Formats: sequence, C-alpha cells, structure tokens
Amino acid sequence: MSFDSKRDAMALERLSALVDGELDGDGAAQACGHWRESGEVRSSWHAYHLIGDVLRSDDLAGDPASDVAFLVALRTRLQDEPVVLAPQPSEHRGAAPEQHDVHVANGVRSRRWSWMAPSAVAAGFVAVAGVVMLTRGPAGPLDAPASRLAEVAPAAQPVTASTLEAEPPALVASGKLIRDVRLDRYLAAHKQFAGSSALGVPSGFLRNATAIESER
Amino acid sequence: MRPMTRRPFSALALAGAVCAAAPAVWAQASAAAGDGAAQAREVRAWLLRIHEAASHRNFQGTFVVSGGGSVSSARIAHFCEGLNQFERSESLDGQARHVYRHNDVVTTLWPATHVATIEQRTMLVEFPALLQAGDDRIADFYEVRPQGAERIAGHETNVLVVKPRDSSRYGYRLWAEQATGLLLRADVLGERNEVLETSAFSDVAIGVKPQPESVLAPMRRLDGYRVLRPALTPTKLEAEGWAMRQVVPGFRQVSCVKRPMDNPEPSDKQVLQTIYSDGLTYVSVFIEPFDAQRHTRPMLASVGPTQTLMQQQGDWWVTVVGDVPSATLRTFAKGLERLKK
Repeated sequence: MSFDSKRDAMALERLSALVDGELDGDGAAQACGHWRESGEVRSSWHAYHLIGDVLRSDDLAGDPASDVAFLVALRTRLQDEPVVLAPQPSEHRGAAPEQHDVHVANGVRSRRWSWMAPSAVAAGFVAVAGVVMLTRGPAGPLDAPASRLAEVAPAAQPVTASTLEAEPPALVASGKLIRDVRLDRYLAAHKQFAGSSALGVPSGFLRNATAIESER
Repeated sequence: MRPMTRRPFSALALAGAVCAAAPAVWAQASAAAGDGAAQAREVRAWLLRIHEAASHRNFQGTFVVSGGGSVSSARIAHFCEGLNQFERSESLDGQARHVYRHNDVVTTLWPATHVATIEQRTMLVEFPALLQAGDDRIADFYEVRPQGAERIAGHETNVLVVKPRDSSRYGYRLWAEQATGLLLRADVLGERNEVLETSAFSDVAIGVKPQPESVLAPMRRLDGYRVLRPALTPTKLEAEGWAMRQVVPGFRQVSCVKRPMDNPEPSDKQVLQTIYSDGLTYVSVFIEPFDAQRHTRPMLASVGPTQTLMQQQGDWWVTVVGDVPSATLRTFAKGLERLKK
C-alpha cells in the first residue's frame, strides 16, 4: 500500500514536471508510460492543465457545457454556409436568394456541380486552346457553356498541313457526355481491332463488349 | 432511316486466329527476373500466358468497365473446343447488343432495331504471331514487374505492373489469375500514374463446360432481322497513295483496310484505316477525302484513356484514335505523307 501510494506520488510529481516542461527524455518517457497505464494519472494530467488555464485567465474556468454548446452551434452554422464553387453560368442572375433559402440553394448547387464539373473542365480546355469546342446531342449539360463559348471564341480555323503545329481544340468528355456521332463511329471502328495488342482478347474484347455508345 | 450508323463493337475476332498456336512458353513466367534478353523473354512469357488463357480457357462472367466518368457492363462467355472458339457477350447497359463469335465470324444483333451485322474478321492475326516468334520489342518500351498477389472476383491473381519507358504510351496494371493466367482486371494508368480506366470481372467462373450451341443457335436465328454484311477490304497504305514517314518508336503497322464508315453498305464511301501496334496498345489512323460539310472542325477529344484527334490535312481528313497520350496521336498525324503520283 504504502509502496503504491509512494509510487503514485512520485508519478504525479513527475507528471507535474512534465507539464512544466522540466523532464528529460527518459523521465518524459516514464511519465508518459504512467499516463498510459493509470487512469488516475490521466485525470491528474487534465486537472493540472485546467489549473494552469484558470491561473492564466478566469474566463477559462467556465462551465464546460458552454464549450459543447459552442461547438454544436458552430457545426450547425457551418452546415448552413453556402459552398463556394467555381463560377457557373448565371441563369439566376438578379434573383438573389433570400436568407432563409440558403440551405436549399446550397443543395441545388451541390447537385448541379456534380454534372457541371466535366463541362467546366472541357470549357477550361477550350479556353486554353482558344478555339471552338464541338458539342452536339440531346441537350447535354455541355450545351450551355459550349454555346456561350462559341460566341466568344474565334471561328474554327481550318487546319492545313502547314498549320499542324498549332494545337487543335481540345474536348474532354466523359463517355456519357459526349454524343458526337462521328466520333462514336471512329471509336467503334478503332475498337474493332482490339486484338492488335497482347492483351487483346481479354481487355480489348471485353472493353468492346461493354463499350458505351449511342448505338441505334 | 439509318438503322445502323455504327459498327458492332465486338473485337472478339482475334482469338480465333490466336487459338491456332500457343506453346506453353508461360512456364517461364515464374523465372526470376534477369536482365536484357532474359527480361524480354519473361515479359513475353507473361503476356503470352495472358493471351493464351483468354483464347483457350472456358469462362463466363460479368465484366465491368469504368472510366471517363461512366460505367458499363456485359455478360461474357468464352468457350474453346479443339480449334473452335465461341464467344458471346451481351451488354447490360444502354441499348441491348448481343455479339456472337464463332472463330472469325462475328454476328452482332441489335434486338431493338432488328438489325444484324455479320462480319468476317480474318486479317487481324499479325500481332500474336509477332509475340510467338519473339519478334516483338515490348520489353524495349515497357518494363514489366510482378507486384504481389491480390484477390479479384473471388480468384487469387498475380499483379503485374507494366510501366512505359517513354511518354508515348500509357502504363497498365494487370491482374492475372494464378492458375490459368486469365486476365481478371486491367487498369490503364496515365502519365501521372492516375487510373484512366478500370476493366474487371465482377464475377467469373473459369473452367466451365463449353456450350457452343448457346453461341451458334442465336447466330443462325436471324428471322425478322435486317442483315448487313459490311466488308473490310485489306489493302496497303502505299497502294492507297500514302506513306508514314515517321512512326512513334515501338509501333509498327499491323493492318490496313478500306472500310465503310457512315453506312455499312459496301457501296458507300470508303475510309482507309491503318492500325499500328506496339504490342500492348494500338492506334488507328483513318484517312478520307475532306468534306467541308461533314468535317467542320478539328478536334481533340478524350474519353477515358481513349484520345481522338481529328483534323484536315490538305485535301484529306485525318482521324487518329488510340489509348495513348495525345502527343503520340499528333506524331502519327504529322508522320503521314501523301505520295506524289
């Protein structure tokens, strides 16, 4: 008993030294060992810090429940904050959402983002290349930005052998977004030859077997 | 009325040709990595084993491809009986499409539009032959090394990392079933090692009982279908008045055909298609007369790992397609030269 209490007293003393930053490597390791093993040491560790805090400022002696309340309130308000996203076509320009609609607007934006992303990427490429992007098809989400860009971008330059060095316009699309019929045809004709590779049959044929295209 | 504007997609054709010869070179696959010639031999052994498994094994399962923001899947079956190969694939997403292959005859059915295409695919045999003869240079352009074992679709697989030695091609990660070598999953890796496309069996049964009739019966039952027989005519690039001045290192021409594009009817306008392969991937170069109405804009498109470059070159419209970085496509387009005649 007395041995235990003596050891505990020593441990607490060492812990106190650790809080004050007065322990060397071995001592710190020992103190940490005690901290890990003993729940009492851990609660003392917390108490020492609380004492230190209160000594520094009376405000820190407040009811811990208020901290919890603060955190909860903060999280709630963070959730309600609108998410800041990349610029998008401003169909709703002028119709500033009212304050209490923020949450709803947020939801709508997030959803739109999921399908706007590829077109935003595509638009970025077009802007870099400085030429018209080509899109076509069943009212794909690409339509809006593409047509907007087309007005701004210079007309497509016929690429001749001498101007080959110039970068052709880029179109980045996911398999689902792209609905350019002529592109599909070349892709199909290309994939027919999937056997021209060592992996041919397994990867090539299987990929073709599942190829997405707007077949009719 | 254009009930069939595109070609069927099956590239099942190859296996038929491959089936003919497949020595058990793959026994070497487990040999320790040597250098130089030994490594080249080992690479070849790995690939041959994968190739051999795909053509000789009987398997069926569900195959899923995801990349470029989309996912699609198909039911697949492959049977080998003696020298005969049978294959069946049914797409599970989008419009129904059933592809059946018996050796080099490929029948594609479109149940929704009642269109069927029947194709002979015999000319695509060159690549495996190269591999068999040890004449390939895959090891010069790719580094292949094992990367442990993983479980795919319920099977133990060996993982192979295929790293390109230059920036002209993509890398791969391959999962080959341990007992048979059958490829159960393949990832295409981009320049920054990002996954561009994953294709994998979600479930597969290997060593199933062959059921050739399940392939042959639908190939015969074409009542009510409009049957099209588009033909690919083998030809030579030079004979068509073209030369490829500069080929991307490692690629060689494996095929050259004239084919209809807009419409499967043979009378229609023909497009010249030349295929170049480096052993693991391949590039198609399409050449056709420029038509201001149809060929409106040059374009570089990217769908998953597949890049497409389209542009006018003189009086011609050139389209280059391949699972390679776009710079590689540009090199092909630039290398093309019209012969003066």
